[in-house]
Amino acid sequence: MAEPRQNPAMQAIRPGRRGPVVEVEKPKDLKGTLKRLLRYLGKTKRSFIVLMIATLLITAANLLAPALQQKAIDALSGSLIKQMLLMLLFLGITYLFHPIFTYLQGIFSARLAQGVVRSMRKDLFARLVKLPIRYTDSHNHGDIMSRMTNDVENISNSISTSVASLCSAVLMVVGCFIIMVLYSPLLALVSTLTIGLTLLATTFITKFMRRFFVRQQRILGAVNGQVEEMVSGYRTVVAYNRQQKAVLHFNSTSDRLKKTAIFANIFGGCMGPVMNFINNVGFLLIAIVGGYLASLSPAHLLHISVGTIQAFLLYSKQFSRPINEIANQYAAIQTAIAGAERIFEVMDSQLEDQGGSHSMDPKAVKGKLSFRHVKFGYLPKKPVLKDFNLEVEAGQKIAIVGATGSGKTTIVNLLTRFYDIDGGDILIDDISIRDLPRADLRRSLAIVLQDTVLFSDTIANNISYGRPDATMEEIRAAAETSGADRFIRRLKDGYDTLLTEGGGNLSQGQRQLLNISRAILADPSILILDEATSSVDTRTEMRLQSAMLKLMEHRTSLVIAHRLSTIRDADKIIVIEDGRIVEEGSHETLLAQEGTYFRLYQSQFAGIAT
Amino acid sequence: MKLLKFLRPYWFWALLTPLSMIGEVIADLAQPKLMSRLVNEGVLAADQQLILSIGLRMLLIVFLGGLAGTSCSVFASLASQNFACDLRKEVFRSAMSLSFQQTDQFTTGSLITRLTNDITQMQHFVEQCLRMFVRSGMMFLGGIVMMLSLHSKFGLMLLGALPIQILLMGLILKKANPLYAKVQKRLDKLNNVMQENVNGARMVKAFVQEERETERFNQANEQLTETNLKVAYIVARLSPLLSIIMNLSVVALIYLGGLEVMAGKMQIGTIMAAITYNTQVLHSVMMVSMMFQSIARGRASAKRLTEVLNTTPAIEGGTLRADSLGEITFENVSFHYPGFEGREVLKNISLTIKKGENLAILGATGAGKSSFIHLITRFYDATEGRLLINGRPVAEYDLHSLRERVAVVLQKSELFSGSVADNIRWGNPDATDEQIIRAAKIAQAHEFISKMPEGYETMIAEKGASLSGGQKQRLSIARALVRKPELLILDDSTSALDLATEGKLRAAIQKEMEGTTLITIAQRIASVKECDRIAVLEDGGLAAIGDHETLLRESAVYRDIDQSQTKEGGIQNG
Repeated sequence: MAEPRQNPAMQAIRPGRRGPVVEVEKPKDLKGTLKRLLRYLGKTKRSFIVLMIATLLITAANLLAPALQQKAIDALSGSLIKQMLLMLLFLGITYLFHPIFTYLQGIFSARLAQGVVRSMRKDLFARLVKLPIRYTDSHNHGDIMSRMTNDVENISNSISTSVASLCSAVLMVVGCFIIMVLYSPLLALVSTLTIGLTLLATTFITKFMRRFFVRQQRILGAVNGQVEEMVSGYRTVVAYNRQQKAVLHFNSTSDRLKKTAIFANIFGGCMGPVMNFINNVGFLLIAIVGGYLASLSPAHLLHISVGTIQAFLLYSKQFSRPINEIANQYAAIQTAIAGAERIFEVMDSQLEDQGGSHSMDPKAVKGKLSFRHVKFGYLPKKPVLKDFNLEVEAGQKIAIVGATGSGKTTIVNLLTRFYDIDGGDILIDDISIRDLPRADLRRSLAIVLQDTVLFSDTIANNISYGRPDATMEEIRAAAETSGADRFIRRLKDGYDTLLTEGGGNLSQGQRQLLNISRAILADPSILILDEATSSVDTRTEMRLQSAMLKLMEHRTSLVIAHRLSTIRDADKIIVIEDGRIVEEGSHETLLAQEGTYFRLYQSQFAGIAT
Repeated sequence: MKLLKFLRPYWFWALLTPLSMIGEVIADLAQPKLMSRLVNEGVLAADQQLILSIGLRMLLIVFLGGLAGTSCSVFASLASQNFACDLRKEVFRSAMSLSFQQTDQFTTGSLITRLTNDITQMQHFVEQCLRMFVRSGMMFLGGIVMMLSLHSKFGLMLLGALPIQILLMGLILKKANPLYAKVQKRLDKLNNVMQENVNGARMVKAFVQEERETERFNQANEQLTETNLKVAYIVARLSPLLSIIMNLSVVALIYLGGLEVMAGKMQIGTIMAAITYNTQVLHSVMMVSMMFQSIARGRASAKRLTEVLNTTPAIEGGTLRADSLGEITFENVSFHYPGFEGREVLKNISLTIKKGENLAILGATGAGKSSFIHLITRFYDATEGRLLINGRPVAEYDLHSLRERVAVVLQKSELFSGSVADNIRWGNPDATDEQIIRAAKIAQAHEFISKMPEGYETMIAEKGASLSGGQKQRLSIARALVRKPELLILDDSTSALDLATEGKLRAAIQKEMEGTTLITIAQRIASVKECDRIAVLEDGGLAAIGDHETLLRESAVYRDIDQSQTKEGGIQNG
């Protein structure tokens, strides 16, 4: 199966400041990503500062301890037993402080990592709920999830291990460099050249490595996508005996992941040895140049003593060690950066804006609706609605009828601003919905969709989803109105029954009843029912009918249904065909016209149409 | 650990990893010696010739060591990635053979985390073990041997320090261990919130509950962070405690050694060497302790994975091949969902469905219609009574061959990522393009597919979000038809179709699928009144069965349903 990313619809749809995200392979903005990561580090400034101080002191202790050891041994060789004991005392003190700072370092690097990851997850989720429906409709859900879990986890791991060692590395490098320059600027230059060479090699390897790491994360996303799709669509998979096929397909993606991961690892693994080799070349160079300088006449400006070379070599080794350490962690850091890029990609997607600023009290909405010359298409050149016009008076009950795919649900998508119209205007109480804050707009509506959505929470909380402050009495009343109360009471824990994700063992019809109860409780000015009762049996629906009628009283309602009985008493029935209204009027007038509605009606009456 | 068997096929790589590690360690050990010779004999003696020759030798050793190091990481990665890949496949295979009851128990979110996050943890774990364990072990043993060879007293000192260190490590890890499982659990919860929000985005937005969901997520996030920090705090004690022991033993070494030197029994160089080796030994223990952390993590993940692997499918097929699918007989069948004893969904149903029959099932929401057909395909097993196919208990049949002959269109139409054609072909991978188009035509889907931008090659975005409910249902039906099943079950799968389309669909199925047994679950009498027989389920029991006319005459329940759909003078409900 082809990659969902190649979907032309998505190419056209995909918003985002950084242009289309399709070319994932292209090396991206490393500097920008790092900068943004640093900004997260900056948010936990205190931890960061404490960590720095602890690291500084540990580094100092690390430098001091060997010197003290040396002195103690020197004292020993001079048989100065007192001096030795004194040095041992100093050493002991240093050693006692050392663990304290190590402890602090451990705690604060964990705090730092967890703090960064927590605020990153938080930000990411805050964005996620604000992403337009268009985004979730067109992106693989498993892949989105993978960004929130795997990628964030990688960043956490790398920060907790790398930041402290990175800091001490920087301190060591700077310290050593200063000392080296003091010893001999010329040799320091040679040493620096080696570092330059190291950096060059790093950039070279990194270039390849990053490509693999980005690819690895992407395939990981694909693996997760497949897992998500197959596991959540498991019933269908089983119904079609497709388990084996699913396994085969999964295996091939898994193999792809394996191959890429191995390549990424190889590049990551050769980093250390390459650096080590370059360092040793540098070491040799210093020895040679140093040896030459030492052989110059002592009067020469560049002459250095043999002792200096010896000391210098020691420091140059100190100089390169932390850089090696960084190189060894490079793979982890790369994965983290690749992950960060993917996270920022989501964050950079165009969010749903707040909507207009025309304030409105959702409870005071009268419910007059006007669709004027509305044009819309999910894809640029495929209009779904073409010049759609509809006036609904406040309190009217409008039924929308039409063949499947004629654009009925699209009207819901537009009115709720899940999608924005391409042309024309939609008005509520004569105010364009574009001028209204999205939250106010949506609070004035309640929708019941064909695809029921239930959350893993109690039944009561699922019903009160739109109005978290509702009392238990109100919840029960809403369920009684919808008829859901009957089956809820038969459950062991009644309203406190915890629903497993997706609604578990409830039947589709029961799920719809819960969704209807939810809308009843929300008590909106405008009610939208999109095939809300398609899975409810007709007798239950009949019981529901009077409740629904009551529910629709005094509010504007849009009812999309294919059961004519549910819409017959609508004030106005509109018939849509190909994104246009072809007929509108009351049940009787439309029947008298003997048009599309008549045919639909006939087909039902006759039972089976041909 | 049981999962180690997944490493067995790659024992070669797994073995080569530590072997090449030896090469790296040797180079690591040899290089400092050469370097000191370079300094002592070359630089100090100003012998450029010697500098160059030793230097080149050193480079050669570094190069070889680097080669060994690189191949070590290559081997480690080959072993661990292959291991992880096989494990992932196996766990996925297991997940794909679970019964619905079992997937419900695991929950989708948790299964997904297990298949992704836990596997990654295991892979890291194996890689680390292969690379670090061996290295630390070699350093550890080598260090002890070297120290003992220096002086037996040092050995005694190590003997004092080591147990304390190991004890401390044990205590801390014991404390941290149970927390890792907790971390995974909280991660599950976090993922669950996320998944619900990704999948239910419309509802969240429609009810303007973004803030509440964010609150819910933040709570899960805080909880996860809190547990993670708890683990980190405990583990953070480890390294300073160990370094206290390490450092004190260095002080002791110098003191003890000093006394010996004073007494003229030891040379200073020996003390220096002893310090180096002591540091090496204790450091390697520390490395091992770090690894214990990943072992703890790995164990938590391994447990979760083994859980999936060890779950034997609750429903397993027999050996009998279902060569054809004839008569289906229910004999006093009762059924309740696992864990819901005493709440029968189906009660004492007896019924025979003949080959080629066109049976409809009608009944209220929750009357047990879907459960009825779930028994035929063995999604669940009857809790009482017998279900026979061709006169043999359904449990005797090989599951694959049984389901191969059945096509069920479920209530909820799940589409998958891929093109329209891919989705239809999903029902039958061998279907030709003609067969796909034919199935689409019967399912009344051809027309709207042709109108799509790229027809059958149009990609279906995330789970068909861009399609209407009716379109999704028709694609699902086409997907079922292309299987050319002997038994076709439509589980309320035309609910989003308008009646005209549904009528055409049913007529086409009847014409094109002759000889196929058809079971239709429906709400509308209009959709099923042409069926050979209509079974009316009421509260799990079979209330009545017969054709439309008979039922109208004889069944009160049926009349009741009919009435509800023909309210006010015979207007049919659609």
